[in-house]
Amino acid sequence: MLIRQISVFLENEKGKFAEIARLLGNNNINMKAFTVSETQDFGIARIIVEREQIERAFNLIKANSYAVTMTHVVYLECAHKPGAMAEAMEKLAAAGISVEYMYAFADSSSEFSHVIIRPDNTELANQIISEL
Amino acid sequence: MIWNKKIECMSRDEMHALQSEKLKKIVAHAYNNSPFYKKRFDEHGVRPEDIHSIDDIVKLPFTVKQDLRDNYPFGMMCVPMTQILRLHASSGTTGKPIVVGYVQKDLDNWSEAVARCLTAYGLGSDDLVQIAYGYGLFTGGLGAHDGVTRIGGTVIPTSSGNTQKQLQLMQDFGATAVACTPSYALYMAEEIRKQGLDINNFKLKVGIFGAEPWTNAMRKELEDKLHIKAYDIYGLTEISGPGVGGECECQNGTHLWEDLYYPEIIDPVTLQPVEHGQKGELVFTTLDKWGMPMIRYRTRDLTYLNYDKCDCGRTAVRMGKILGRSDDMMIIRGVNVFPSQIESILLEFPEYEPYFLIEVDRVNNTDTFDIQVEVKPEFYTDQINELVRLRQRLTSRIQSVVGIQPAIKIVQPGTIERSTGKAKRAIDHRKFE
Ligand SMILES: [Zn+2]
Repeated sequence: MLIRQISVFLENEKGKFAEIARLLGNNNINMKAFTVSETQDFGIARIIVEREQIERAFNLIKANSYAVTMTHVVYLECAHKPGAMAEAMEKLAAAGISVEYMYAFADSSSEFSHVIIRPDNTELANQIISEL
Repeated sequence: MIWNKKIECMSRDEMHALQSEKLKKIVAHAYNNSPFYKKRFDEHGVRPEDIHSIDDIVKLPFTVKQDLRDNYPFGMMCVPMTQILRLHASSGTTGKPIVVGYVQKDLDNWSEAVARCLTAYGLGSDDLVQIAYGYGLFTGGLGAHDGVTRIGGTVIPTSSGNTQKQLQLMQDFGATAVACTPSYALYMAEEIRKQGLDINNFKLKVGIFGAEPWTNAMRKELEDKLHIKAYDIYGLTEISGPGVGGECECQNGTHLWEDLYYPEIIDPVTLQPVEHGQKGELVFTTLDKWGMPMIRYRTRDLTYLNYDKCDCGRTAVRMGKILGRSDDMMIIRGVNVFPSQIESILLEFPEYEPYFLIEVDRVNNTDTFDIQVEVKPEFYTDQINELVRLRQRLTSRIQSVVGIQPAIKIVQPGTIERSTGKAKRAIDHRKFE
């Protein structure tokens, strides 16, 4: 499934991610998942929120003068069993898709792990994942 | 067309001989008639007899803007005031204004210089030139005016301001050229669009733009919007006014009229002449200006000179774009760095905003050279590698132009101060004691 993700450019300084988290928190927007990648002096926070809150989250962050982009990423529900993830990744590799980055999160109420994948070919990757 | 083919296309040897003759005369005139120059030359241990050719100009002391302020209003004049026919002045942002005075010969040479520029732009006696530079103490209006008269063109002396009327007259009279600052021309183009006027109802073909630095991007915008060829006219009050130099149809450098205004490029720190073609501070000596000669006047403008013959046929030396002001220069790791260089590099990149902040410090006896920049909102991506690559491209470009490697820091949008001109673009934290 394709879902939308918010990416925020952050200077690598103390408290920068806290500013974003506080901003969303104060506006009752819950982060379902996030990851931060960084270089020596800047980072990018990628954030997943509830689908109905994403527009509001995006506009809110933008209005507070952050550089923010919205991208489509592939969402994979991966079963809690050995080899499930391997199978998905092998299929993507076989189709010549490379993954820019990915991250996963689990929640105890679900029988699946939730995996977010940012491939170079989003459409094709989504098709492969949905046929698993 | 070329206004004065003999001079503008003269061989370098003939020009050297002409400049040498003129320098000897003007130096003697300054020394004998100005207490200011006599004192300055005596202190420097140089006398008019020491000047045998233009190459001896390096023996002479420099003149700076402060000298004009210190001698306000008429202390720099080298003739009795009865011979001065006109005064111009420039206010500047600080201190007393500077005042310049012209005898008849000076006014003639000035209009000759402007006539050479106008002819190089392709203008002649058939043309109607709307002069939207200010008339008055500012040299722009009257300087351009006399040049147009000299080539037999028709002057439309609107002066600056009242844009609505400017545009109406420009259209009704069928002005074929407009002289103003490039930023005012952009404003007029915007007004034409706003008022729903059709540029095809105008007869403009040439824009004569000067009195402020402008970029090639501005040139393109002006040419596209006004359906003109946009030409640079260079000048400064101290040297005479607009027309010290102008571009030709090749638009590849500003020809300087070096039989009247002799240019040198010096290193602003050592004050020594630089190698041919190297950038540095532009210095002028007025070789044929009698009311108030300027000997080795430091303009503070940074540029470079090209002595190659131009495709237009002129041999007159060409000046590159003004790269900035020597007052802003910093020396980092032994290399001269100008904030304006960073600005022009940023303008080459569509991905970056043209704003920046340079910070220099000294850590472990080595200078640090940090530059904060902003990426335009539409060029952000969620892929860190692309931003890293973008930063690397800028780093390499700056290193190749400036000669030392900066540490580029991409900061959040809106972080860097916007007000151009007065904005603080560099902070030097180093302590030298
Ligand atoms: Zn030329």
